[in-house]
Amino acid sequence: MICENCQQREAAIVVTQVNNGHQLKKHLCHECAANIHPFHVEQQHDTLHDMLSTWFGTPTWQKEKQPTKKQTVCASCHTTFEQFLQDGKFGCSDCYDAFRDHLPQLLKRLHGGTEHIGKMPNAVSEKAALKKRIELLRQTMRTAVEEERFEDAAKLRDEARALEAQLAGGETS
Amino acid sequence: MTNIETFLQHVTPAWMRPDSEDDIVISTRIRLARNFAHQAFPRKQNEESAKATSEKIASILQPKHFAYFTMEQLTPLQRLVLVEKHMISPLLAKRKFGSVLLQQDETISVMVNEEDHLRIQSLQPGLRLKEAYDAAAAIDELLEQQIDYAYDEQFGYLTACPTNTGTGLRASVMLHLPALTLTNEMKQLIQTMPRLGMVVRGIYGEGSENLGNMYQVSNQMTLGKSEADILADLQAVTEKIIAREKEAREQLLYRAATALEDRIFRSLGTLRYARTVSSEEAATCLSNVRLGINLGYIEDVAVDTINTCMMLIQRGFLQQYAGSTLHPEQRDTARAKLLREHLIERHTENNETNGEKGDDSYDV
Repeated sequence: MICENCQQREAAIVVTQVNNGHQLKKHLCHECAANIHPFHVEQQHDTLHDMLSTWFGTPTWQKEKQPTKKQTVCASCHTTFEQFLQDGKFGCSDCYDAFRDHLPQLLKRLHGGTEHIGKMPNAVSEKAALKKRIELLRQTMRTAVEEERFEDAAKLRDEARALEAQLAGGETS
Repeated sequence: MTNIETFLQHVTPAWMRPDSEDDIVISTRIRLARNFAHQAFPRKQNEESAKATSEKIASILQPKHFAYFTMEQLTPLQRLVLVEKHMISPLLAKRKFGSVLLQQDETISVMVNEEDHLRIQSLQPGLRLKEAYDAAAAIDELLEQQIDYAYDEQFGYLTACPTNTGTGLRASVMLHLPALTLTNEMKQLIQTMPRLGMVVRGIYGEGSENLGNMYQVSNQMTLGKSEADILADLQAVTEKIIAREKEAREQLLYRAATALEDRIFRSLGTLRYARTVSSEEAATCLSNVRLGINLGYIEDVAVDTINTCMMLIQRGFLQQYAGSTLHPEQRDTARAKLLREHLIERHTENNETNGEKGDDSYDV
């Protein structure tokens, strides 16, 4: 579970506040929990719904549900999935990674397709070609093993390893 | 370095010059959206990193003879004129840290820090999807050698708006469709387009009216379809629309030739003699005169002149010409004056040369 206050760090502490006899439970991380003064009453309301729900109280089952919906946050730019749905815009390219599971459904509605077909940067297409060659080497290596041509297999294995190193090097640079 | 004035003074850019007998497609536009990997998109970017982005792109393109202008260094009027020439988008004009790189002949402009870090735009006259795309792709390939693009194996090029994800390609053609508008067939066409993965809009972007019977048809799909297929489909749809427009023109000529001819010459009269003209009226009249030229009714006005006038009737251009800010009423008077100058002077010039030719042949 993610901290309900900062929406970033892992929640580690459950803080129970009592406002006018109304009990409020919050899952917080160490940092946020330390900032909460025992007598401090939080009056931050994001939406009208949030405000009304603290005034009149919401059934506990609803309260449990809300944080799970908000959990997806981009680690790079802190855009939440909800914000993205509201604005219709990503904050940075890493948002695509953060929201990856939810995107195909949405993109399908917009485009009909969910997988990119077409032009790619040269570096990427070179990488893709490299991966294909490694896969091919592996396959021939397996047949070599099956045919008990172990010397050939060892050669192929070394070749594949060299290409893999090249691939890894390209990824880090 | 090229002065901004050269770009502003020059009224009709290369992409607006008529190059073929095809008078229905005015121009073709290609736009590629690209972003730097692992960097906040312009809407979330801070000043420092936005400026670094601009400078990085400038450092690559300036040696290739692109002129570089930041939005900060341009006056609001200069920005407006660039928008009216379609060299920059209305959004870029509003972006504080936006900048643009313009190629000398104005067929390529690279916008930096618009909605995406990069918007490569390529413009061509007539229906030339392939040429326009190739020109944009060449710039794209030049830039990718020095920039790590935001790209994902599944989603393709990553953009700020999910409507551009994938190819980041928006291909559009600007069409002059007076007959289809007159016969009320446009509404039906606009409604059926989304089913083909395409959109029809007025030329001034989303929500704008079809000022002067000009429409922009573009692809909507960018994911799950290759660039070649996007261009081929748009080409096919455009050709169908052209055929329909030609048919509608023939029907109009067959059923209401006199009414059509009357409308065309009244419009020419308005443009030549009116003392105040609103931008809407000017756009409508220019559309009618363009149709008149296409149909052979008007022979002493060049399509090129109409293109120039279409540019000049806009707010920014008028004020640049007048050299001062103008109130709406003053604008209408200035617009009428400019139109008169362009359409009457050309007219008399042509008559004189015709007369001389006649004299010459008489002498010989």
